[in-house]
Amino acid sequence: MSAPLIEVQGLVCGYPGREPVLQGLDLTLLPGQKAGLVGPNGSGKTTLLFAIMGLLTPRAGEIRLFGKPMQGPADFAQARLGLGFLFQHADDQLFSPTVLDDVAFGPLNQGLSRQEARKRAEETLDMLGLRDLAQRTPYRLSGGEQKLVALATILAMRPQALILDEPTTGLDVETKARIVTLLNGLDLAVLAVSHEPDFLGRITTSLFSLRQGRLHESRAAAHAHLHVHAEGDLPHSHDD
Amino acid sequence: MPGLDTPLSRGDSLVHRLDPRARLLGFLVFSLPVALVQSQAPALLGLALAALLLLLSRPAPGLFLRRLAAVNLFTAFLWVFVPLSAPGQALFHLGPLAYTREGAALALLLTLKINAAFLAVTALVASIAPPELGCALQALGLPEKLCHLLLMTHRYLFVIQREYQRLFTAARARGFVPRTSGHTYRTFAWLLGMLLVKSWDRAERVHQAMLCRGFTGRFYCLTDLRCRAADVLFVAASLASAAAMVLAERLA
Amino acid sequence: MHISEGVLSAPVLLGGAVAAAAGVAVGLRRLNHDRIPQTAILSSAFFVASLIHVPVGFTSAHLILNGLLGAILGWAAFPAILVALLLQAVLFQFGGLTVLGVNTVTMALPAVLCAGLFRPLLLSQNTRRAALGGFLCGSLAVFLSGILVALALIGTGEAFQTAAVAIFLANLPITVIEGVVTAAAVVFLGHVKPEILSSALT
Repeated sequence: MSAPLIEVQGLVCGYPGREPVLQGLDLTLLPGQKAGLVGPNGSGKTTLLFAIMGLLTPRAGEIRLFGKPMQGPADFAQARLGLGFLFQHADDQLFSPTVLDDVAFGPLNQGLSRQEARKRAEETLDMLGLRDLAQRTPYRLSGGEQKLVALATILAMRPQALILDEPTTGLDVETKARIVTLLNGLDLAVLAVSHEPDFLGRITTSLFSLRQGRLHESRAAAHAHLHVHAEGDLPHSHDD
Repeated sequence: MPGLDTPLSRGDSLVHRLDPRARLLGFLVFSLPVALVQSQAPALLGLALAALLLLLSRPAPGLFLRRLAAVNLFTAFLWVFVPLSAPGQALFHLGPLAYTREGAALALLLTLKINAAFLAVTALVASIAPPELGCALQALGLPEKLCHLLLMTHRYLFVIQREYQRLFTAARARGFVPRTSGHTYRTFAWLLGMLLVKSWDRAERVHQAMLCRGFTGRFYCLTDLRCRAADVLFVAASLASAAAMVLAERLA
Repeated sequence: MHISEGVLSAPVLLGGAVAAAAGVAVGLRRLNHDRIPQTAILSSAFFVASLIHVPVGFTSAHLILNGLLGAILGWAAFPAILVALLLQAVLFQFGGLTVLGVNTVTMALPAVLCAGLFRPLLLSQNTRRAALGGFLCGSLAVFLSGILVALALIGTGEAFQTAAVAIFLANLPITVIEGVVTAAAVVFLGHVKPEILSSALT
């Protein structure tokens, strides 16, 4: 059995002056494992992801990334080079003058030379079918395009695991479908947080729920939805 | 990045209960002699008076001590360099330069003055919340446009700081570690550029929202400032302190 | 980079106060009422930017960016910098009243001068020329600030000469870094939102 990529034990995390939102949480992500995390708003999903990335300091608990205990900012800085974190809002993630520059940013931080980083960025954009966006300004792209570019910026780092924070926020049906196909085609571990269980069901193989500050394994129970909408006699399909 | 909160303005001391205009006038009156005296006796008097004011304003000790240390970094710098070019009797030599006794005396004087000014700022100015400060300055006769620039600039500080932190977090999440390198400077330039772009957009939205609510260019201050006996007494006391320092200077 | 309260002599303080008052008066007159929200929000952004510290060798420095501020705000740089100094006094207890004028002039005067000198270059469609303009504007503004601070100290008395030279020399590496950062920022803005550089706010 290969070493876990992410191991969290007894995590207690919260914001100053409030009850901790994570209360002794345990989590393990193995290589190639695709796990989904559901929970209502405010349950601490983003807090958990930020703690794993070392972007906030927990009150208690241990985090191991790639088998190494994370004991300080330097450890996390090193570990981040192997993880791809997709922020909930793509426009928080993009800050370069062109798409190519943004996608090359991660590889540059990994120590690639300018030429190597550029080449890696071009390859990643090709892989995602986004080559024609290379010279565009990320700031001016549509929401869907920004999300895809944000995904490119982290895939360019060739991470061993993807951490996705509400990846479907603000996306239309078409872009959502594109992301699903993309993610299913990747041979990476995935930890995805979402409040849409059916989306998670399409990209992950195990589902957990975050309740009362801890993870619980979810029982998969599929059920049918009956819904009503206007214009029902026009030809149409539902995205499921 | 330091916090932009103003915890010192939220006390409930005797100083905090003074009208902000009185505090500012007292500060003005007190600052002049502190800045201009050239002898140690009046400077010591100024320091003692400022210390008294500070005690009355009861600032949070941890925060106060940190700021005190920061201010005295410059003082330390002066202690190193001023006596090296002040003429007078040498205490020791550093290469061609002489570290003089007169220079050390001057450095001491500067230390007293700098710290007296710092204590006065902490007691009188930092105890005023920025929104109140803008209105108080306008009531004292400063140009309306300037006061409203002050109020609005402060109003957006938290929002913009959070915006910057989100951008910086995004960079860190992709492995950015600031170093002395071209890549680092270029990244900071882009983060900054993005901050300006987002701020520009925000400003447009804010302006549009203000227009929708009938904004014609004029601003109005809602704070009700009322002058009381304590305030008049305080300004009188500041004038007396200033006079005392001037007298001490004349006698020295 | 500003000077503490209680250091400078009366003539220097007075000269600074008069020059600052003049600059602020010009800036306020040229600033239309309806441009105040925009100027304030941009000033706020620059204030936050000045809190960033950037590694410089074994230490770190705070960016001043008065050149870029001048390029974007024009003469409003004077009131904007005055406001920033007032806020620094309230938030961090730096500075003071009598030295406010000198500290305003040492940062705002180079800002307005360099912006005026290099604006045509900054607005160039040619990326190289815009970068050059940005570098010159950013580095020269900080360089001139250093000179003005040194002059204020020297004007105060012979005893401050060594300190003045030390500050001037310590400022030199910062000058280069500010030039580099300003150049990259100008190129960025020219690409992403050129109207920030081209709409003259004052």
